[in-house]
Amino acid sequence: MELSDANLQTLTEYLKKTLDPDPAIRRPAEKFLESVEGNQNYPLLLLTLLEKSQDNVIKVCASVTFKNYIKRNWRIVEDEPNKICEADRVAIKANIVHLMLSSPEQIQKQLSDAISIIGREDFPQKWPDLLTEMVNRFQSGDFHVINGVLRTAHSLFKRYRHEFKSNELWTEIKLVLDAFALPLTNLFKATIELCSTHANDASALRVLFSSLILISKLFYSLNFQDLPEFFEDNMETWMNHFHTLLTLDNKLLQTDDEEEAGLLELLKSQICDNAALYAQKYDEEFQRYLPRFVTAIWNLLVTTGQEVKYDLLVSNAIQFLASVCERPHYKNLFEDQNTLTSICEKVIVPNMEFRAADEEAFEDNSEEYIRRDLEGSDIDTRRRAACDLVRGLCKFFEGPVTGIFSGYVNSMLQEYAKNPSVNWKHKDAAIYLVTSLASKAQTQKHGITQANELVNLTEFFVNHILPDLKSANVNEFPVLKADGIKYIMIFRNQVPKEHLLVSVPLLINHLQAESIVVHTYAAHALERLFTMRGPNNATLFTAAEIAPFVEILLTNLFKALTLPGSSENEYIMKAIMRSFSLLQEAIIPYIPTLITQLTQKLLAVSKNPSKPHFNHYMFEAICLSIRITCKANPAAVVNFEEALFLVFTEILQNDVQEFIPYVFQVMSLLLETHKNDIPSSYMALFPHLLQPVLWERTGNIPALVRLLQAFLERGSSTIASAAADRIPGLLGVFQKLIASKANDHQGFYLLNSIIEHMPPESVDQYRKQIFLLLFQRLQNSKTTKFIKSFLVFINLYCIKYGALALQEIFDGIQPKMFGMVLEKIIIPEIQKVSGNVEKKICAVGITKLLTECPPMMDTEYTKLWTPLLQSLIGLFELPEDDTIPDEEHFIDIEDTPGYQTAFSQLAFAGKKEHDPVGQMVNNPKIHLAQSLHKLSTACPGRVPSMVSTSLNAEALQYLQGYLQAASVTLL
Amino acid sequence: MPTLDAPEERLRKFKYRGKDASVRRQQRMTISLELRKAKKDEQVLKRRNINDVSPEPASEKPAKGVVSLSLDEIIKGVNSSDPVVCFQATQAARKMLSRERNPPLNSFVEAGLIPRLVEFLKSSLHPYLQFEAAWALTNIASGTPEQTQAVVEAGAILPLIELLSSPHMTVCEQAVWALGNIAGDGPKLRDIVISSNAIPHLLTLVSSTIPITFLRNITWTLSNLCRNKNPYPCKEAVRQMLPVLSYLLRHHDSEILSDTCWALSYLTDGCNERIGQVVSTGVLPRLVDLMTSSELNVLTPSLRTMGNVVTGTDHQTQLAISAGLLSVLPQLLKHPKTSIQKEAAWTLSNIAAGPHQHIQQLIAFNMLPPLVDLLKNGEFKVQKEAVWTVANFATGATVDQLFVLVHSGVLGPLLHLLSVPDVRTVLIILDVLSYILQTAEKLGEKESLCLLIEELGGIDRIEALQLHENRQISQAALNIIEKHFGEEEEDIIFPVPNQESECMEMKK
Repeated sequence: MELSDANLQTLTEYLKKTLDPDPAIRRPAEKFLESVEGNQNYPLLLLTLLEKSQDNVIKVCASVTFKNYIKRNWRIVEDEPNKICEADRVAIKANIVHLMLSSPEQIQKQLSDAISIIGREDFPQKWPDLLTEMVNRFQSGDFHVINGVLRTAHSLFKRYRHEFKSNELWTEIKLVLDAFALPLTNLFKATIELCSTHANDASALRVLFSSLILISKLFYSLNFQDLPEFFEDNMETWMNHFHTLLTLDNKLLQTDDEEEAGLLELLKSQICDNAALYAQKYDEEFQRYLPRFVTAIWNLLVTTGQEVKYDLLVSNAIQFLASVCERPHYKNLFEDQNTLTSICEKVIVPNMEFRAADEEAFEDNSEEYIRRDLEGSDIDTRRRAACDLVRGLCKFFEGPVTGIFSGYVNSMLQEYAKNPSVNWKHKDAAIYLVTSLASKAQTQKHGITQANELVNLTEFFVNHILPDLKSANVNEFPVLKADGIKYIMIFRNQVPKEHLLVSVPLLINHLQAESIVVHTYAAHALERLFTMRGPNNATLFTAAEIAPFVEILLTNLFKALTLPGSSENEYIMKAIMRSFSLLQEAIIPYIPTLITQLTQKLLAVSKNPSKPHFNHYMFEAICLSIRITCKANPAAVVNFEEALFLVFTEILQNDVQEFIPYVFQVMSLLLETHKNDIPSSYMALFPHLLQPVLWERTGNIPALVRLLQAFLERGSSTIASAAADRIPGLLGVFQKLIASKANDHQGFYLLNSIIEHMPPESVDQYRKQIFLLLFQRLQNSKTTKFIKSFLVFINLYCIKYGALALQEIFDGIQPKMFGMVLEKIIIPEIQKVSGNVEKKICAVGITKLLTECPPMMDTEYTKLWTPLLQSLIGLFELPEDDTIPDEEHFIDIEDTPGYQTAFSQLAFAGKKEHDPVGQMVNNPKIHLAQSLHKLSTACPGRVPSMVSTSLNAEALQYLQGYLQAASVTLL
Repeated sequence: MPTLDAPEERLRKFKYRGKDASVRRQQRMTISLELRKAKKDEQVLKRRNINDVSPEPASEKPAKGVVSLSLDEIIKGVNSSDPVVCFQATQAARKMLSRERNPPLNSFVEAGLIPRLVEFLKSSLHPYLQFEAAWALTNIASGTPEQTQAVVEAGAILPLIELLSSPHMTVCEQAVWALGNIAGDGPKLRDIVISSNAIPHLLTLVSSTIPITFLRNITWTLSNLCRNKNPYPCKEAVRQMLPVLSYLLRHHDSEILSDTCWALSYLTDGCNERIGQVVSTGVLPRLVDLMTSSELNVLTPSLRTMGNVVTGTDHQTQLAISAGLLSVLPQLLKHPKTSIQKEAAWTLSNIAAGPHQHIQQLIAFNMLPPLVDLLKNGEFKVQKEAVWTVANFATGATVDQLFVLVHSGVLGPLLHLLSVPDVRTVLIILDVLSYILQTAEKLGEKESLCLLIEELGGIDRIEALQLHENRQISQAALNIIEKHFGEEEEDIIFPVPNQESECMEMKK
């Protein structure tokens, strides 16, 4: 590509087309540009356009295209071709700084970004003159240019804030410091002087303050890794100026905007950060400046208003004080009673006030409000910062601070009492103050776990919280109601149970409040109370204690779901679930209504599932209803099927993906409730469950396997007789699952159920094929998880079909195969099996191999007899081998699934761990002893000699222990 | 400054035993750069003699009268053939070089005076002249490396060593000093001094009868002969010096003790074999003793030496422990000077990197409470070392020891430090947390540990780190949150679709 006018013209046209809203025009243009960008001079053409084009739009477009081009191509990746030719690279680097500095701001930003991308790769080695070039511009006196340089420098140096110390990094920083630190300091001083000469020129001031902000940011970056010698020597200059700037105000720089922070605020925020950096990391050197900064920042806080635009500054400033006040050697700066009082009064209290913005969120954006207030996503808010300061101060001054605040709380409560409807915010602040003062440690699960003993929480509860909640009008002062409910929620472990019990009906009552926050908090508080544990790990509240309120509780909970804004309120649904779980049989009389309401809800939300938590709890509640009812009356399962199957069918037909795994789980639960054979309605579904399309979705797999297992458990004979043609399909599912590293354990679950439950003759013809598939997988990709499942399977097979059958099937595939499996898999890997049931299956299976398999006694396999016994004793006695070979580490965490246990599931649809050998063998060690004894009676003399010649001493000792415990001897 | 041992560089032998120990050790090893100002409490490497009270040699009184000459006059004077003129000029030169401010070291080098001064060293008939010349050369050698080099190039070393046998003690002492300055320049000149066989001559000077100031000078020069690495002084030289150093270590004078300890600290700042050489002389109990000294100049180098020793083998570390190191360390962790706290914490961190028997000793000597206190209230640079200690302790501990660590109150301050503006420290803490959580998980203690971390405000901090600009940190934080703080409920887990699906066709 020549640098010709013709090419410039072509490029201009294509650039123009890339802005076209019509994709038919835009896309080809973009494609074209991509196709030519590998040519020499392409980037230089773009630079020419962004400098010289007559059309402003093209200029900007060229600059953006240029930046993206640099972003994609500048980095030289090892083993890949260099995508920009060397001549272009040199030309770009030679011109770009100048170009950036002479361009209007919009383009300057793009070029500045491009410079930092290039700088990231080339600076400093391959761009040695960049620094000098930048520093020279400081002398230009043109602050448009200077700010461009500073911005670029910032984008180059800001990585010093988050990269690890390394030789390269520090070499670069040293280089930068040598060239940059002094000019930057001089520029800083000069800029400050200019600020006072231009104190009356608003537009000049704005430019100068932008420079100061950038300079302060650069200061932070350059000082981040360690305190450079230069800045230690020049600390006086920098800190004095920073201090002055913190105290500076200029009417001309104040903005009218309430939301957006102005230049003054941004600068002061950054200075707070700089001071905090020094205070935290370079305390020894900074010590003598620190008191002045504390005073300045504190004064700053006292004089800063409530507007949102100051939020960042205020929370930065408070955090600075919070971090300083808990350091032992600065405690003297705060200990004076007047100081403390003044910090409490002028810094903490005002920043805890309920502001107009909070009120707005409370009413109009309640979801966000709840998230901030309840779940603690309030890290950068003023309230949070003020709370942190309270905690910091309490480290050394808990007594005095509590004293000061108690006074405040009282006076605020008095204010409120004088005229509640006007002064309700005072009470809100009082409650917030008590909360932040009292809570020393907190968890989601337990609320406050450590409280300030100087605060009487129960007294405050009785005198100031209960009265609000008892008032007849649940819609009056909603903020205070929410505060009160939250108080119960977080201090639930501090307030005595009898008081909590008193609040239960009050909370139930507030489920009817119109305010979303209030009824949500009420539901959440009830849910938390019902989850509390008392002594003996039983729930704190018994079903009997809540029984008097059952009807109103259930009614109000479901009614709350009809309130505007709460139709899919997850807190309410969770409270419904928790109430069911606590009340158990007490809900049975209401089940018909409840299940109707739940199915209606289900039908409604299945049109467009959008609240995963809500949906999950809803299905949990459905499962609970089924369990509780059918436990008392199994026949009632039919009623549930009647109520639910219609909706379920609709969900399956409409393929509501989010709900299908849930539906399968609920169906499993229902099916397992049937005591006798599978009802025909289920059998009709059976073929559909084997459709490949369902198994394509990995999210369905656990639930589907679970459901097929339920079919096999309950209806194996029905399947064998009425649906034998489906058995290949079933095995097809197994085959598909077994081929996947992620899902192979699910395949084994299914296979184990087939082996355990299906009549042997119905699977006879497939057995060899099954083993072949397993061997194939073993050969192709052997993983620890697969081996573990494989071991459980072959032992289950051995238990079910006999040891001889196992030996025969292996040797039928290939002669001597059985020996290889013993030697290469069972003996060396058995220690890896995890889970109690799994270990038991393996123990019983191996016992059978040892004692009921003639070839083990009198063929060449005999030499493996003792090693196998030794490994079985190891399985009993040694710790589990949970090592995973290095190359397998990337395989996901789900590598130790239980035999029948948790996949991602509905808790209340779960089933008990299933032990297929439970009835047969109670204690596998005794079982081994007895089996060995039996074997030894059949061939006297052989077993003791095999045992004593090659079993190691320790194992022998264990074995003798088993024999003793079983009161048998080996003959 | 090549000879000042930046603490970071000493840390290069840090025994971090995390999963990727080699990587960490590597990273700590490669840093030899400093952004900081050089340390002030280290030993000086070159000293100028500005003591204006010139000791008078016993015999051969020269002509009296203060001589004050210009440089030109001096040049002329030293080149004279008259010994008296030479003496006067040399004395004037020495005085000029001894003035407090701006001694014209370079002018003397450029004027080419050094060879002549070196010649004077050999004029054994004129001890006053020898003395003045040695003094002048001492001061020139105290200058820049180039100036020291000029003295060496003029062939000063051999005659200076000759002077160590001078019958005149003041001459002898001045020669010791000059050699000290030359050796202090760096490994190259040091090795020239050593290979010129200075050590045996120096060692014979040590006796209980010489004045204390003289003995101090000898000790200081010896310490410079031990100083510097890349390369270290040869083992034979060290072997020669060690008996005298361990003799000097029993002296009562704090300056002598200080320089002796510095010498030992240089000798132990190396591979395990070097450490072994020092340890085998049996000096460790005495060094531990000196760590309780009220003199900072003795405490600092004795602590440094013991700190170096515990970077060695487990056996060497055990010897340090047996010498009583752990009984003096707690008070040093509480020392009012932060630099001492820091060195003590560094020492502790290396003991914690040892086998669990050593960790057990840390517990037995009640090292955890002061450690927790440093984590909580120490200055940042001390906190940083304390964090390393915790990391080493945690990764090397048995389950029981880990339990003791967690219950010592270490988590609170550790979590607090997650907001510190230092990326390495933050990452180490995240690693430690993840390690402790994993162990707790295996023991079925995870739930209570998670609650504890939440109570201590840890979740908020870890969550905030998920947005950190440093990818390793954000990833580590994300992993902890996902793995250990995912869903709060004990009984509710959401279906997570599996990502991997490499399925075969269904059989018909």
